[in-house]
Amino acid sequence: MKLGDRPLANPDVVLREEYDDWAVLFDPETANAVGINPVGVFIWRLLDGRNSVEQIAARVADGFDEVPGSAPEEVRAFVERLAAGGFVGFAATGATP
Amino acid sequence: MMPTLTTSTDRGEARLPRLEQIYFYLTAGCNLACRHCWLAPKFDPDGSRYPTLPVALFERAIAEALPLGLTGVKLTGGEPLLHPRIEELLAIVGERDLALTLESNGLLCTPRLAAAIAQIPKRAVAISIDGVDAATHDGVRGVAGSFDRAVQAVRDLVAADTPPQIIMSIMRYNLDQVDAMVRLAEKLGASSVKFNLVQPAARGQALYDTERAVSVANMIALGRRVATELAPATRLRLDFDLPPAFRPLSAVARGDGRGICNITAIIGVLPTGHYALCGIGEHIPELVFGQIEADPLARVWRDNEVLRTLRAGLPDRLEGVCADCLMRHRCLGSCVAQNFYEHKNLFAPFWFCERACKDGIFPQSRLAGRRAQAADSAAGAGEAKS
Ligand code: SF4
Ligand code: SF4
Repeated sequence: MKLGDRPLANPDVVLREEYDDWAVLFDPETANAVGINPVGVFIWRLLDGRNSVEQIAARVADGFDEVPGSAPEEVRAFVERLAAGGFVGFAATGATP
Repeated sequence: MMPTLTTSTDRGEARLPRLEQIYFYLTAGCNLACRHCWLAPKFDPDGSRYPTLPVALFERAIAEALPLGLTGVKLTGGEPLLHPRIEELLAIVGERDLALTLESNGLLCTPRLAAAIAQIPKRAVAISIDGVDAATHDGVRGVAGSFDRAVQAVRDLVAADTPPQIIMSIMRYNLDQVDAMVRLAEKLGASSVKFNLVQPAARGQALYDTERAVSVANMIALGRRVATELAPATRLRLDFDLPPAFRPLSAVARGDGRGICNITAIIGVLPTGHYALCGIGEHIPELVFGQIEADPLARVWRDNEVLRTLRAGLPDRLEGVCADCLMRHRCLGSCVAQNFYEHKNLFAPFWFCERACKDGIFPQSRLAGRRAQAADSAAGAGEAKS
């Protein structure tokens, strides 16, 4: 993933929220599943191909208390792991409206 | 809190797995007569009436398991402290630098035994207490005075720098004492509380037959209350022993696998010296694999047909709701022994999850396959609440 790339949620993937605000991302095509915490759910909703990782990290910093300085790297690592599992793709910089 | 992932496919084993733990069922008898016991050992107040595992066989099984990857042993029963040479067994565990897990009813725990346990650097002890007063606990356990002695066992262990876990099996008799049990555990200085589901086997089955067990729906509701209300309000770790599909993802992400048995990495030893899947082998001859004196453990571990079938088939051959469950790599069908006991099928689904599914209360968010598609389309917007 390059700096400035804009992650885009795989449209086939279903977000299933649970009672404690965690959620399961489930890909019906592959039956892959992953559990994500409330910050992950917040990030997932921003993966619309328009927000860059830096912008998402800034939104996380605004929306949650006690966000560590390493947030941009952690957000990037999180999105990269989702991408490796096929839950997320990328819209190249400049290709979005 | 930063984003966290927990995957559903982080288990599974194709090669010969390590034999990490032996579960030693040290005594065929027990000095209590608990209403919910799933093994139903015979009553033996002093350990003299029924077989206990000879020390030489205990030592030999450990010696043969060490090259296979052994890192720990669980001592259980019957009642492990009823074993006439328990101190020698503890010393062997310590000398081999093995991790000790000891599950006891506490009746025979003395300060001297607590000190012997404390000699073992890696140790975890659990004492079963099924009520916060003598009337409840002794009523469940069938012997007057057992509550006081179990409480004293916790105190002795705490004093010997081994704060134990308290295990409470949930039944109608004690359903209203869950909060009070957390308070009691805090007061005694226990390390944690584990709330157990009663299994419908042996005496446990009789509890379900007579409606003195707690329903699946009520256990699920109680598990959520423990996770969301009781756990945040205590310094103790609380573990509610339901299958992983019913555990909060936060607990799963913490690696909270307690109570999930990794059946592909353990073997049981019965008081007679037989190898078995686990203690339930006493009731199911098909799950007994050989005898310590007659059969080299390396050969049993490598060649036994049941073990090979399980290794090759778990979790992919699991049936029923387990086949569609996103937690199956982590869970492996919860309790293979219980599943086999009920259905004579190693890959049968776990009764609790089947019943929850039938009653429409299985968490839809944890399902894959056809059932999940039905759930996701029923949710309309593409999101399903558990
Ligand atoms: S459905 Fe089966 S695999 Fe899933 S949690 Fe229940 S017992 Fe475990
Ligand atoms: S299979 Fe069941 S009885 Fe056997 S060790 Fe695992 S949980 Fe215990």
